[in-house]
Amino acid sequence: MYNPFSLQGKTVLVTGASSGIGQQIAISVTKMGAKVVITARNKERLLATYEQLVAEGHQWVLADLAKEEEIKNLVNAVPKLDGVVHSAGIIQPFPIKFLKKKNFEPIQSINYNAILLLTAALLSNKKINRQASFVFLSSIASQYPYKGAATYASTKAAIEAFAKVLAVEHSSKGIRSNCLSPGMVKTAMYEQTEQAVGAKKMSAYIEQYPLGVGTPEDIANATIFLLSDASKWINGITIRLDGGLLAGMH
Amino acid sequence: MQLTELVQKIAEEFEDTPKEQITAITKLKDLEEWSSMHALIIIALIDNHYDIILTGEEMIDAQTPTDIYNIILQKQANK
Ligand SMILES: NC(=O)c1ccc[n+]([C@@H]2O[C@H](COP(=O)([O-])OP(=O)(O)OC[C@H]3O[C@@H](n4cnc5c(N)ncnc54)[C@H](OP(=O)(O)O)[C@@H]3O)[C@@H](O)[C@H]2O)c1
Repeated sequence: MYNPFSLQGKTVLVTGASSGIGQQIAISVTKMGAKVVITARNKERLLATYEQLVAEGHQWVLADLAKEEEIKNLVNAVPKLDGVVHSAGIIQPFPIKFLKKKNFEPIQSINYNAILLLTAALLSNKKINRQASFVFLSSIASQYPYKGAATYASTKAAIEAFAKVLAVEHSSKGIRSNCLSPGMVKTAMYEQTEQAVGAKKMSAYIEQYPLGVGTPEDIANATIFLLSDASKWINGITIRLDGGLLAGMH
Repeated sequence: MQLTELVQKIAEEFEDTPKEQITAITKLKDLEEWSSMHALIIIALIDNHYDIILTGEEMIDAQTPTDIYNIILQKQANK
């Protein structure tokens, strides 16, 4: 059957695979035929993802990506890869005027440092095949800010820029690098935001989405596209997934 | 830490509300100026001044500066 989106024969590393978007991406790409290596810190939840993977030959590795040593161990454990999806990330709202280093070091270390260090280690250890595809999870917050998002939005903007540099630096090997920029998606992060702003504010915000709140499947489907050869001419871009939210805003 | 000092610090973060309108028993969320940003600001100022981290849930439950003061005391005692 004609299927340009097939991931048959590809091996994909998925970070943040113990929850939300990363978990769904891991499951969905195995449905498209890929072998995956899934990683996160929480063993129980990572194994719960592992149980839901389709077919055999997958691998799970526990790693705290805020620790360089554990990034190294992860890189040593993975086979050669045709795709890397970085979904691991955290959100920590904080008002600018009170910012101290200790308030942004944790978010910077996972949303930014970890991505640079892991990408560098994968490339220098020759774990990235020709024609491989990198997919990074940004957020619409990087371009369309909201109060309290200083640390989160700026790490995401940095990753969008990083992804473009990676695209330029490795295109001679057919290696591609793109970002997905979702609006509000129903995951643990959604619950966390709801707790911070209150249920009323959250539902008022969600009402602005013409197509409703996003699901992890929506993000996983776009990831399948970016990992597959169907997108082999797409490099260095960010795809916005926001249920039409920003199209209607001026 | 004094309750009056905490009330004063919180009151300073409400720019459009007269200072005298914010007391130890003011329900902060009933202030016209209240927004979710104020919850973040209060969490941050307590972290900065008292080295205590209030969770989002604790901020949702706390109504007045006195409530917040009591949470800080309790957390300091447990440290
Ligand atoms: N949900 C949304 O509305 C939304 C919108 C836009 C963008 N995004 C982005 O999409 C990505 C996934 O979000 P999500 O909603 O799926 O979040 P989530 O459900 O909270 O999952 C976050 C994942 O990151 C992992 N992680 C966190 N810290 C880590 C560390 N130090 N080392 C290794 N793994 C770590 C967590 O695993 P462990 O705890 O097991 O380590 C978990 O698997 C994030 O980058 C987020 O910024 C989300």
